[in-house]
Amino acid sequence: MNKDFKQTSRSGSLAWLLQRISAVILFILLLLHFVTYHFLGKGQAVDYHWVVSKAGNWWFPLLQFAFLLTALYHGLNGVWSVLEDYTSSRSWRLLWYSLLLTVGVVLLFVGTLTIIKLYTLQAA
Amino acid sequence: MAMIDIRVKILRYQPGQDAKPRWQVFAVKVEDESTILDVLNEIHWQHDGTLAYRRSCRSSICGSCAMKVNGRNVLACETPIHRFGTKLKIEPLSGFEIIKDLVVDLDPFFEKLKRIKPYLIVDRPMPDKEFVQSPQQLEQIGESTLCILCAACSAACPSSWPNSDYLGPAALLKAYRFVFDSRDDGADDRLEIVNDKNGVWRCHTIFNCMEACPKKIKITEYLSRLKLKVVENSL
Repeated sequence: MNKDFKQTSRSGSLAWLLQRISAVILFILLLLHFVTYHFLGKGQAVDYHWVVSKAGNWWFPLLQFAFLLTALYHGLNGVWSVLEDYTSSRSWRLLWYSLLLTVGVVLLFVGTLTIIKLYTLQAA
Repeated sequence: MAMIDIRVKILRYQPGQDAKPRWQVFAVKVEDESTILDVLNEIHWQHDGTLAYRRSCRSSICGSCAMKVNGRNVLACETPIHRFGTKLKIEPLSGFEIIKDLVVDLDPFFEKLKRIKPYLIVDRPMPDKEFVQSPQQLEQIGESTLCILCAACSAACPSSWPNSDYLGPAALLKAYRFVFDSRDDGADDRLEIVNDKNGVWRCHTIFNCMEACPKKIKITEYLSRLKLKVVENSL
């Protein structure tokens, strides 16, 4: 066991603060999601056709993209926070960070494509 | 008061003799109102004099006898055996190197405590008499001063197990105790020390420390206040 306290250069305060802020935003977005999908639907089944019928509204891509961005940040930042408990070596940390960043970018790309596709599908 | 038969399984480790820790079972007859410490004393005095464990005050104030009993960190001197029944499984605190049997090396624990400067730092002119502190100011730190440094919280913290560099809940609680003390002037210094990857940000509010604390200190709540203070200070 290391008896010396290793002070590292990066603190973590910003990641902690952003995790709290993204949690609050996620909560608000979740409420908006429930209102728009389940309460305004007046008992209609939320299926593919229902989603496509709403996709042309201005708020739809905005809400979906905000959800995608916030959930990705909040989830991946949380995983990174846990991974940091278990990885002390610089190379492992870099590897995990790169992997999470790649996952984030890929999912953001696929998610954004889906939102654009749904929006343009309705517009067409 | 009646005598009962209990089965005690203890994790033993004799340096120079055992390659790794091993379990040993003792069948003991004790009074039903005994504490864990009474049971260990009975084994030490009547069954096996080589059993090593720490004890001192027997009044849950010195913090020497923290150990893991049936998976929970407790003070042996204050914990009655009826809380666990007639089958006891006693281990040393997790996350520390075992010196012998139930005695662990607490040097890293105290080194981390020293790191946060666990003493009053006063930069202002000294008053003629004592420092005046309002009941509200005292209330803010009152409970956190009850810590007896038994290490039960740090040993229960999952963030401490994989990362021996993490300051741990006890040192961070001590940091809180001085940062929020109206008589102290060393807050900036301490906040800089705890504002680190191995400092307060390794706390994931798991609440294990609170559950393990024999003094029932709301450690997680105080660490959350400390985090907010760090953020306020660094903005």
